[in-house]
Amino acid sequence: MARRRKKLEAGSWKLEAGTQQQPPPAAQAAPPPAPQGPPRNWPPVADRTLIGKSIKRLDGPDKAQGKAKYTYDIIRPGMLYGRLLGSPHAHARIKGIDLSAAEKLAGVKAVLALKDPAGEGANGKAFYQGDEIAAVAATTEEIAEDAVRLIKVEYEPLQALATAAQAMSADAPAVFPKGNVSQQSLQQEGDVEAALKSAAHIVEGTYSTQVQTHTSLETHGGICEWEGEKLTAWVSTQAVHGARDGIAGSLKIPQTNVRVITDYMGGGFGSKLGFDYQVVVCARLAKLANAPVKLMLNRKEEHLVTGNRPSAYAKVRAGVDAKGKLVAFDAETWGTGGAGAGAAFRVPYPIYVFPSRRQRHRDAYTNAGPQRAFRAPGHPQASFITEVVLDELADKLRLDPLELRMRNVLSATDPSQEDPSRQWRKYFPMGAEKIGWSKRHPTGDPASGPIKRGMGCAGNTWGGAGSRATRANCQILPDGSVLARIGTQDIGTGTRTLVAIVAAETMGLPLTGVKAEIGDTNYPFAPGSGGSVTVASVSATMRIACENARDELFAKVAPALGVEPSALAAKDGRIQVKDAPSKGMTWREACKLLGVQPISADGAFGPGLSSTGTSGVQFADVEVDIETGVTRVKRIVCVQDCGTIMDKLTAESQVYGGIIMGLGFALYENRILDRNTARMVNPNMEWYLLPGMSDIPEIDITLVDQPDRGPVGLGEPPVISTAAAVANAVANAIGVRVRKLPLSPDAILQALNEERTGGTL
Amino acid sequence: MKSFAYVNAAGEKEAVAALGPERGRFLPLAGGMDLLALMKDYIAQPDRLVNVKGLDRAIARTPDGGLRIGAAVTLTQLAESAEARRMYPAMTDAAAEVGTPQIRNVGTVGGNINQRPRCWYFRNEEFPCLKKGGSTCYAVDGENQYHAIFGDGPCHIVHPSSLAVPSVALNAKFRVVGPTGERVVDAGEYFQMPDRNLFGETVLAPNELLTHVMLPPPGAARTATYEVRFKQSHDWPLAFASVALSMSGDTVRGARVVMGAVAPIPWRSPAAEAALTGKRLTEEAAMTAADAAVQGAKPMTLNSYKVQIARTAVKRAIMKAAGLKTV
Repeated sequence: MARRRKKLEAGSWKLEAGTQQQPPPAAQAAPPPAPQGPPRNWPPVADRTLIGKSIKRLDGPDKAQGKAKYTYDIIRPGMLYGRLLGSPHAHARIKGIDLSAAEKLAGVKAVLALKDPAGEGANGKAFYQGDEIAAVAATTEEIAEDAVRLIKVEYEPLQALATAAQAMSADAPAVFPKGNVSQQSLQQEGDVEAALKSAAHIVEGTYSTQVQTHTSLETHGGICEWEGEKLTAWVSTQAVHGARDGIAGSLKIPQTNVRVITDYMGGGFGSKLGFDYQVVVCARLAKLANAPVKLMLNRKEEHLVTGNRPSAYAKVRAGVDAKGKLVAFDAETWGTGGAGAGAAFRVPYPIYVFPSRRQRHRDAYTNAGPQRAFRAPGHPQASFITEVVLDELADKLRLDPLELRMRNVLSATDPSQEDPSRQWRKYFPMGAEKIGWSKRHPTGDPASGPIKRGMGCAGNTWGGAGSRATRANCQILPDGSVLARIGTQDIGTGTRTLVAIVAAETMGLPLTGVKAEIGDTNYPFAPGSGGSVTVASVSATMRIACENARDELFAKVAPALGVEPSALAAKDGRIQVKDAPSKGMTWREACKLLGVQPISADGAFGPGLSSTGTSGVQFADVEVDIETGVTRVKRIVCVQDCGTIMDKLTAESQVYGGIIMGLGFALYENRILDRNTARMVNPNMEWYLLPGMSDIPEIDITLVDQPDRGPVGLGEPPVISTAAAVANAVANAIGVRVRKLPLSPDAILQALNEERTGGTL
Repeated sequence: MKSFAYVNAAGEKEAVAALGPERGRFLPLAGGMDLLALMKDYIAQPDRLVNVKGLDRAIARTPDGGLRIGAAVTLTQLAESAEARRMYPAMTDAAAEVGTPQIRNVGTVGGNINQRPRCWYFRNEEFPCLKKGGSTCYAVDGENQYHAIFGDGPCHIVHPSSLAVPSVALNAKFRVVGPTGERVVDAGEYFQMPDRNLFGETVLAPNELLTHVMLPPPGAARTATYEVRFKQSHDWPLAFASVALSMSGDTVRGARVVMGAVAPIPWRSPAAEAALTGKRLTEEAAMTAADAAVQGAKPMTLNSYKVQIARTAVKRAIMKAAGLKTV
């Protein structure tokens, strides 16, 4: 019972976390004091042999050949298959659960009720479709699937809220204990009303974005295997340590008794940062059945219960003066993050200076699976709303929208200083050059025929600093092999390769000379891979661990060479005297001096090796068929920085992935709930549209290397601006503003019709 | 998935013998592209599957100069048949647009024509809709953006088949075998509106099997299919149209105009056909016919945009058949 209550509390905690999702770029939280130590640096740019080069991911061939085993692929001896029974109702009281028929089915080894008909609050109710009611473990997946359907649940269906509008309507049924709508929050600066009065032009409109689900290719879940009181869990997670702590806490067992392993992971995008309830159920089934159990969600459950990007609505009034300086942005905003979960986003998007601004926000709670962090939480929504408003203001001014951005984008506070995290004034012209902005026509393609072409642009920012809590371990073995261990996880971004690059670069060895081991709670703590913190956390900390290990080796070698350890360098597979490189020995010879005692050195995150704050811009070139409403994106141009590029190939890969996901948000993806029952009608990949290979345009990426800054995270930035740039390009093509996402044929034809019957511009 | 028995049918007779008169209990399995998904979703729960992959999978010329396509022919086979492409581009264009290459490699002509609707209320087991014996069509005041713009219900699905539409436009005949022998059904008579048949979409009895699609000799007809879809990869058409125009010079002597994804069956438009007949084939004539085709459309609450898309599909299918630029 307590566990169920905890689950809802976790939802409300997310609400608070949600309000902090979008820190202003310069205002990072004050970090705890850093461990003391010698000043740390990356090698001078000219000396780098691996960092910044295009390095293929080490596990690429294994993945391509199916040798890399993802959680979903793992089969343990005697393993059973678990399935969950989710509520078919979006809101219902649970009046009874009868497990007996399922228990009797041949092959069923364990059955659990997860709700209590006598329970209070969420314990005796389902608050959204898919809310877990019971679970089964059986010898095959098919038997488990049949067995959950034999569980007889008596539901009393209750009125459900499917949309924010339903939740906010005056005659809405009272569904949530603390009300269907949150208190209004207020953010303001300056006097918006006075500023709007002074504006030469004002734009007013209502803008909205849809609910997007993460749709990770590998669904959530894990495999749990007990050995006495010790639990090993293979989990598809973005945070092995977080998963361990969550599982241990839920099962009320010591954290020392839980080991979490994530060798390979098929995508999470924020939805796998928290520990997963289904893994706890899996562990309970495994205990009950006394056998390992695999419980992975199916695609439908994945859409329903593993989080989403909340919807966003904004009723905006924004003003600009006659000289093209933005003066005010006033927004009444709302959105829904599902059952008891927030829907925070901050407008105006913080890279543009609106001296006066106000946002009044409310969260509407609906009977849908609660939101979770989703790649750049709040940013794509805020970017879409703000960047579309900017283009509309530019139209009123009859000014090139690029010029409006150049006049109003944030730059260094002190004009004499260049702030490397605020490079938009440089990147906008670079992107414009690449896309051919000079050929852009004013709003509305004058070409005859149904196919209209247009261009648009948008900018983005993110933090991406490393976590001070990160720890790493590096071992040098007497045979010369090097082991780099850190309890991070590779969520598909190339972290395993990154660890090897840092270790090899530090030891002066080729990539093949080091072994990177990650994805295991037996390794030192690293944070969850969220918020784009991984590259900075892992690179800096592993660098320190490896330097510490290397320095121990120097201490062993120095007497043999008759120099001080500080005079030595590890380079080209040798330990040699910096000033007399011919004086030295091979790495292997040096390691032989260790005898039988390997070096094992730890590292703690320290300053100087990483940074925070990124800037980027994206441009879109689109074609819209105004007789069908179908938009095709022809080209996306992206200019993006991320501090020091550690591996150009995997960095580019991040940007490709972000843009494709942004394209899905712009055009296709939309979680559709039946308005009368709040059940999802498209919990699949058929009607939940995702870009396929033929829908992906040419993507032109310019990564700006900042070799002296140290790495900054790149996970979120590339997803932020795509939808805004595409929306502005569509308006530029068709001459009509579409103020909502996704830009479906329906939305485009509707906007074109409104224009014909009175106009939206 | 409910457990089921499996019968390998060596021929038509064995296949029909293994089927039975009760709807849904015994089902033929060809490519399985639709059936297995229905079974995994517990929408279909047959006791027995009858494998009919071994039936005729040839495309053959008929003595009268037409084409006879076995129901077990794969969509790829049809799309890539040079003969079919030369004779009936409306058919091969439609086959080439189905699903994904993987689906086309396995999915069959018979399976495509007989597949069940994609309506999301039908496909999700939580909704006991009319077609599943329930009392409500959830689409009426629900999420009907992809539903029918023609027809009076009570069920508002759109027919899912890409090949059904050109089959009607090309005046195809379907060979059907059953326990008492075989019969031949006009494609135009094969599909049934929900007021006549709520639990199925065709005249096929549960113990009958569609074995062949027979296309009449093409003569001087020009045919085309034009599909409007949102995504280029793996997506269903928002609306599409197949046309067959018999020509004399550049004048239309006779026309068959059929729309897809707009009604519970392939939706033939006599008004569009009349508008074309006797006219020279120009963009204006195509536009007039397209306007006529969507006259009388009755969109639901969220799908009036489909009227415009259907109109465009008809116009462009005619222009494509005429060899004119479609955009």
